[in-house]
Amino acid sequence: MIRVESLVKYYGEYPAVRGVSFEVPKGRVVGFLGPNGAGKSTTMRILAGFLTASGGRASIAGKDVFTDPIAARRNIGYMPESCPLYPELRVAEYLKFRAGLKGLGWAARRKRIDYVLERCWLKDVRTQLIGTLSKGYRQRVGLADALLADPPVLILDEPTAGLDPTQIRETRKLIRELGREHTMLLSTHILTEVEMTCDSAVIIYQGEVVEDGTLEAIRHKHQTNNLEEVFIKLTRQEGI
Amino acid sequence: MRALLALIKREFTGYFLSPVGYVTLFFFLLVTGLLFAQAVAGLTRTGSQGVEYPFAVLFGDTAFWFVFAFIPPLLTMRLLAEERGTGTLESLLTTPIRDWQVVAGKYIGAVLFYLVLWLPTLLYLPVLLNMSVSGDWYRPTGITFGIDPAYAWASYLGVILAGMMFLAIGLFVSSLVKNQLVAAMIALAVCLVFVAAGFALPHLDANDVWAKAVRFVSVPDHFRRDFTRGVIDTRHLLLYLSVTAFCLFLTARSLEARRLRA
Repeated sequence: MIRVESLVKYYGEYPAVRGVSFEVPKGRVVGFLGPNGAGKSTTMRILAGFLTASGGRASIAGKDVFTDPIAARRNIGYMPESCPLYPELRVAEYLKFRAGLKGLGWAARRKRIDYVLERCWLKDVRTQLIGTLSKGYRQRVGLADALLADPPVLILDEPTAGLDPTQIRETRKLIRELGREHTMLLSTHILTEVEMTCDSAVIIYQGEVVEDGTLEAIRHKHQTNNLEEVFIKLTRQEGI
Repeated sequence: MRALLALIKREFTGYFLSPVGYVTLFFFLLVTGLLFAQAVAGLTRTGSQGVEYPFAVLFGDTAFWFVFAFIPPLLTMRLLAEERGTGTLESLLTTPIRDWQVVAGKYIGAVLFYLVLWLPTLLYLPVLLNMSVSGDWYRPTGITFGIDPAYAWASYLGVILAGMMFLAIGLFVSSLVKNQLVAAMIALAVCLVFVAAGFALPHLDANDVWAKAVRFVSVPDHFRRDFTRGVIDTRHLLLYLSVTAFCLFLTARSLEARRLRA
């Protein structure tokens, strides 16, 4: 469903992503791992169509994100890092606006909004101003927005960043449930999260893929049960 | 199409969700109200001191344009600068919407609110045009104007198109920066070029090519000489429409460039 081939992105002279290739088959939940600044967000932004790559190719559900961006974006539900929202809108208003942007018809709009409000436990805050919501609720609004058009692919950039333990637990549960229906790529640097929610992982370091495979295969290859050890070994941070 | 409509609706209603819209409306009505009172005073004065063109009192004054120049930047400063600043531009540009639709949606939303600004001033027209209705009030048989209504239609056409030009400039500036205040200041500076250009006229030889250029861009002069006297000069319309189209094109390009850069 997601196919990335030797993707390159330069920020000026600096190569943030240097030839990343990986593939996410249909129905798989893949954890996108790496230390801060490894190029996770940049890769995801290219996939979601917010940035244009300097080189390489990427496609979502067979649609190239550079030559056919609108069709590719129709297949993605994307939640940006830190989940920016409009504070002056109410939750239901915001979702209505987003459903319109995603081209949903009037009848479908109402149905999908009711569904995502229910799904992301947002029913009690539907008339609340987004600006007054806690971080956990905002994150859920972001997730609800990603689910609105019922896209086959979900791309979530650090969905649990900044949440308290209870909220992290709820969000992970939701992600596990969503993983049954959607192909998912989620970035994080929390390793237990990957172990709890993902089938496989792609580890990226300094803009390059250093490991890619199912969790089983990764553990087997490095002969350890601890993903953290693998991560630290691969990202050469053992001395720290 | 649905995406475009959703965006227009959001941008238009957005003006009513923040104080900026109401404050702008307040000052706008204050200024136009004062000028209306001046025009009425001029029209009702006895003797030889009356006004010949009442709409020139409203729109022909450079002082009015100096105040007016603040309004489009206030309306457009938030459009893209705010989204860039708070990061919501990322969620907007990753939906299946084309860049030109984002530009069009935001621009149309701003233009609609601009038209709302002018709407209450239509109430001045019956007085300024010395309108009288014959027959009963509930079944009028005829409407006559003491003053040619063409002055009003031409003035309103001009003021709408000139405003659209200023709004397009403001939208383009808003796409370049992240800070709303900076967006407003730069847009104001650019708008003032069109307002203050006329100050150079007394220092120039009237047949000089520079004088012609200045008259071409000086918006208050367009209104003093032409629109408020019922003259629709296509040179002015061409200026307004081409600057509008050019700025909207640049805005779309600036969104595209942002994708390539970072």
